[in-house]
Amino acid sequence: MIRMLVSVALVAMIAFDARADVLTDPNEIVARANLAAYYAGADGSAEVRMLISDVQDRRQRRQFTVLRRDIADGGDQQFLVVFSQPSDVRGTVFLVDKHIDRDDDRWLYLPGLDLVKRISAGDKRTSFVGAHYFYEDVSGRRPTEDTHELIETTDTAYVLRHVPIDVGSVEFGSYVTWIDRETFLPMKIEYTNPAGRLYRRVEVLEVATFDGHPTVTVSRVSDLSSGGRTDMQFRYIQYDIGLPADVFAERSLRNPPREWLQRPTD
Amino acid sequence: MKRWLLILLLPMVVGAQEDPGDGDVWSDDAWDDVAQSSRWSGFVEAGFGTRLDRDPLVSNRTTLEELRGRIESDWAPGRFAIKLRADGGYDGIDNDWFADVRDLTLSFTLGSDIDVKAGRQVQTWGTGDLVFLNDLFPKDFVSFFAGRDDEYLKAPSNALRISRFSSAVNIDVVWVPVFEPDNYLTGERFAFFSPAAGTTVAPDPPLSGVEPKESFSNGEFALRLYRTVEGREYALYAYRGFFKQPTALTASLEPTFAPLHAFGASLRRPAGIGLFNAEVSYYDSRDDRSGTDPRVPNDQFRALAGYEWEARTNFTVGLQYYLEWTLDHDALVANSPWPQYEPDEYRHLVTNRMTYRTDRDRFVWSWFTFLSPSDRDVHIRASLTYRYSDRWSLTGGVNGFGGRDAHTFFGQLEDASNAYLRVRYNR
Repeated sequence: MIRMLVSVALVAMIAFDARADVLTDPNEIVARANLAAYYAGADGSAEVRMLISDVQDRRQRRQFTVLRRDIADGGDQQFLVVFSQPSDVRGTVFLVDKHIDRDDDRWLYLPGLDLVKRISAGDKRTSFVGAHYFYEDVSGRRPTEDTHELIETTDTAYVLRHVPIDVGSVEFGSYVTWIDRETFLPMKIEYTNPAGRLYRRVEVLEVATFDGHPTVTVSRVSDLSSGGRTDMQFRYIQYDIGLPADVFAERSLRNPPREWLQRPTD
Repeated sequence: MKRWLLILLLPMVVGAQEDPGDGDVWSDDAWDDVAQSSRWSGFVEAGFGTRLDRDPLVSNRTTLEELRGRIESDWAPGRFAIKLRADGGYDGIDNDWFADVRDLTLSFTLGSDIDVKAGRQVQTWGTGDLVFLNDLFPKDFVSFFAGRDDEYLKAPSNALRISRFSSAVNIDVVWVPVFEPDNYLTGERFAFFSPAAGTTVAPDPPLSGVEPKESFSNGEFALRLYRTVEGREYALYAYRGFFKQPTALTASLEPTFAPLHAFGASLRRPAGIGLFNAEVSYYDSRDDRSGTDPRVPNDQFRALAGYEWEARTNFTVGLQYYLEWTLDHDALVANSPWPQYEPDEYRHLVTNRMTYRTDRDRFVWSWFTFLSPSDRDVHIRASLTYRYSDRWSLTGGVNGFGGRDAHTFFGQLEDASNAYLRVRYNR
């Protein structure tokens, strides 16, 4: 009887806890969303493909494998992106050292010239390999670059509005995110230009859990002013595979690390 | 005779057969394309280019007239990797078929930190943008000036490359058993300046430098030590081989390649809003260290400094300053049969690159200027690439040359100024 009472009390406490777990600090929500979206596991790998459609529905595709390693949760990260499609970019490799306290270091390997090209930091809100995604959508925007305001808490999502601190560095005036209250994944992001018109939307269409990490598997970005869009799919997702730091170096540009690019065999 | 028109249209015939890349939608089996251990890809490209003015020395007005196919594949049997990239096609200026293997290599890893790559390969290092100091791998200036894709500026060589990686320093050692010169100006497609003639010439048979005898000691050896620390890339270089252009003369006054040692260093790092690069190289002309032999080029000190930044969204600007300092210049002039054509003691060169990408990189507008205030010559490369789809792309451009004197590097090419168009179908 006592055991049952204790159980009931425990259940009640958990339930109460869950309700108390409604966050109200927008900075904390953003920090957790940043971790959920970009820092799952200590490292990870996935195959990604993108279908880029313009307003006339002409389509291009990109396919690549991405390896990621976190140096610190919420902090510096390393990325290696190895392209396999289409044929004219196959063998192109992109290496990024993402920094929190300074500009990212980025290198691009062009196999035709055997050239390791360094890319200046520049504007990260430009097209990633011809897609409607920006570089910043792929590697993450620093939470400290915007101010965050919690404008609504629905049954499923925290709705936040973000305003850039350096207005001149970005093309948007503000954006609103719908962050899932359970997974903390940003499920929808809508960008408004400085004139107040909605012009860009990023939305998550499917989520699945891998190794305990809820992960976006299908997403879409729509250019609401031109009508184009890019669909992105993730497959062969793995976490905590033990990627060594030296995979993220010039060696991997000329000689991509095959053992880490292979698909999981299951 | 509109043979070139036919050439430009041919890829469309090839491409018209099927075009699955553009019409198709997501389907699950498309993921499996990539899982295969070997795949074939490539392209068909038609190129046509013509001089803006006639060159009285060269009968062909066209500078580019070719239909080119590329095949590309790789295999990974066990611990090995085999890579193939080869071009073939028909060149309407040479009136001949050609085959050009750009990569055919066998690679493997020794232990955990040594990569070995053997075979025909294109190699590049150094920090310059279209300016090379310590990169003494062969260049193809004929392709570069004729309007072929920039990739063809780098020519392949048969080489063994061993790379060792460690946290202290990475080492590349390259051995090219048989000296591979640049693809230099020969008078076939472009005339060049001959100091002996005192004017530009297009000899028939074309210029052909006497290459060093094949022997172990006449091979090329290149070394690079490099390390990246906190985003700053440091490198040291050494080279033993020959000048890549036939700028020397044999005892019987035939053009040849003088023996060369080169030692250098480079740095590339972020600075301010962009990237800064600096590189130096000392060219030790082994057969003429005193600079008194008029048949052999003198020692040189070369230096480069560059800065590249994104001036506005999708618009990148690069500036470089490059110096060629010819040592013992007094001795060179005193002993030269044609001192008026010898290089200045200081050759200054500035370059400017501007790249503008629009419509999510579908259009790439590119402008590159080489300008030498000391030689008073200029080379302008302007191009526009339109990537219509994953299959089709179109590139048009102009290569302009000008100079006060005919004996400078770009001045000799004044009559070679050309415009070109290329259509490519990727597969």
